[in-house]
Amino acid sequence: MSAYIWALYAREVKRFQKIWFDTVASPVVSTLLYLLIFGVVTAGRSIEGVDYKAFVYAGLLGMVMVNSSFSNPMFALILSKNVGTIVDIQLAPISPARVGMAYAMAAFTRGIITVFIAGLITVWFIPGVGLDHPLILMAALVITGIEFGLFGVIFGLLLKNFESLTFLMTFVMQPMIFLAGVFYPISLLPKPWDFVSIFNPLHHNINLIRYGLVGYSDTAPLLSFAVIVVLSLVLFGAMNAVASRALRK
Amino acid sequence: MLALEVKNITKVFNGKNGKDILANNDISLNIEEGKIYGLLGPNGAGKSTLINIISGIMLPAKGEVKVFGHDIVKETVKAKKTMGVVPQEIVTELAFTVEEILYYTSGMYGAGIGERKKLIDKVLDDLDLGDKRQERARNLSGGMKRRLMIAKAIIRRPKFLILDEPTSGVDVALRQKTWELVRRMNKEGTTILFTTHYIEEAEQLCEEISLVNHGEVVKQGRVSDIQREFTENEIVFELYDISAEQLPGVNKNGNEFQLPVHDLQVDMSKVIKHYGTNLKSVKSGAASLENIFLKLTAE
Repeated sequence: MSAYIWALYAREVKRFQKIWFDTVASPVVSTLLYLLIFGVVTAGRSIEGVDYKAFVYAGLLGMVMVNSSFSNPMFALILSKNVGTIVDIQLAPISPARVGMAYAMAAFTRGIITVFIAGLITVWFIPGVGLDHPLILMAALVITGIEFGLFGVIFGLLLKNFESLTFLMTFVMQPMIFLAGVFYPISLLPKPWDFVSIFNPLHHNINLIRYGLVGYSDTAPLLSFAVIVVLSLVLFGAMNAVASRALRK
Repeated sequence: MLALEVKNITKVFNGKNGKDILANNDISLNIEEGKIYGLLGPNGAGKSTLINIISGIMLPAKGEVKVFGHDIVKETVKAKKTMGVVPQEIVTELAFTVEEILYYTSGMYGAGIGERKKLIDKVLDDLDLGDKRQERARNLSGGMKRRLMIAKAIIRRPKFLILDEPTSGVDVALRQKTWELVRRMNKEGTTILFTTHYIEEAEQLCEEISLVNHGEVVKQGRVSDIQREFTENEIVFELYDISAEQLPGVNKNGNEFQLPVHDLQVDMSKVIKHYGTNLKSVKSGAASLENIFLKLTAE
């Protein structure tokens, strides 16, 4: 990675570190609260031999990864457009695709730090949880972070203000999260939602992360892996096209 | 070598009522390496649009821009590596200190981690910002923020520096400091293009200028040539007794009188003979850029 992109990446990492309470502490606290509530309500239940708390734990960590990596570049770019500092990126000798990748990598970094802290703090509530497929888990987290980082870059460049961001988070991301199988297996959903969920890209990220962590999957892990890899490549192309137009009018 | 070649640049914006707004119309200009070049014009003349196209933020509808031979559309990154740009609007990162901003900016322009501290020390010293090093940029005064913007643009010592109204809204001391810096950087080899409202700035700093109005270049060339062109056309004089009978064709402008010239020697002797000892002063000296500017941009 050249000094140019590295500096932009490092700047974005520094930015979220400066507001760590919002960017890192908040998702950790909400994960903790979810687990406490689900732990009390679903005590002793299991899904196909997997303790329900462990099932939710894996889903929640996936959700944290998705939310953190998606919101990081989106918030940063919308803010910089509103404040006017987007000009710093426009003037820098860095191609639009590389600008997007620097933001996506910073998004992944925030996601992985948040997941690590949230996982470490909450793992004590899930006795017996282990790492069933550590390499798959690692690959799933990396691809998920980059994929939703790219999503965040695209929407950050396209959206003009924070109202649009709130709309997107409430009316697009939240339903996608709830239909992704974070809190329950998608097979428990009534028809046609169980079928619709297969086409929800987020389901495959959660599915693969859960498979890596606790060994349970709703959909074939290989299918999920293929879906998220292909989607990431498509998103990279889309990000390049959007960034080229948005950074140069 | 040419530092900048602008050929037939046209830029059109979509207006609110569906009408197209022609911000730049067929603008061409060349800047030789090592020169200080001024872009003058009233508000809304199209100067900033042209600067945005040259610096790679905007795409032209037509035309071509080359910076040190690199096409800004086709070889954007190469062209940008030679440039430093101070935008007109003052914007600052909200969360970062002055030092952090310069640290990451220098990196984004290719400085390695090891050399950044040295570059930051030098630029903070150049712009008298040393005591603000650890200050959050958002807490700086307007003038300090302007200095920080200049610091960001020059930290990597670009070959070509663009300043879009760098002294607008700053105090006299900072204006002088900026001029001094511009001169020093130019002496060290940096080619400079700047836009300004302050005519005296252009008179003092530039060798060549373009006067832009309504998106078009209305006058272009060496400052001295332009001044000569406008000066040789009139004799300007002052009288002790302003009620004296005037020569035919004399116009009054404030305390001064102006006579259009056909032949400088003949007309000058005519003035001296007619007014004699009533003449307080007489000149056919350089017309100020301000007067030329006003004449050329008058509706």
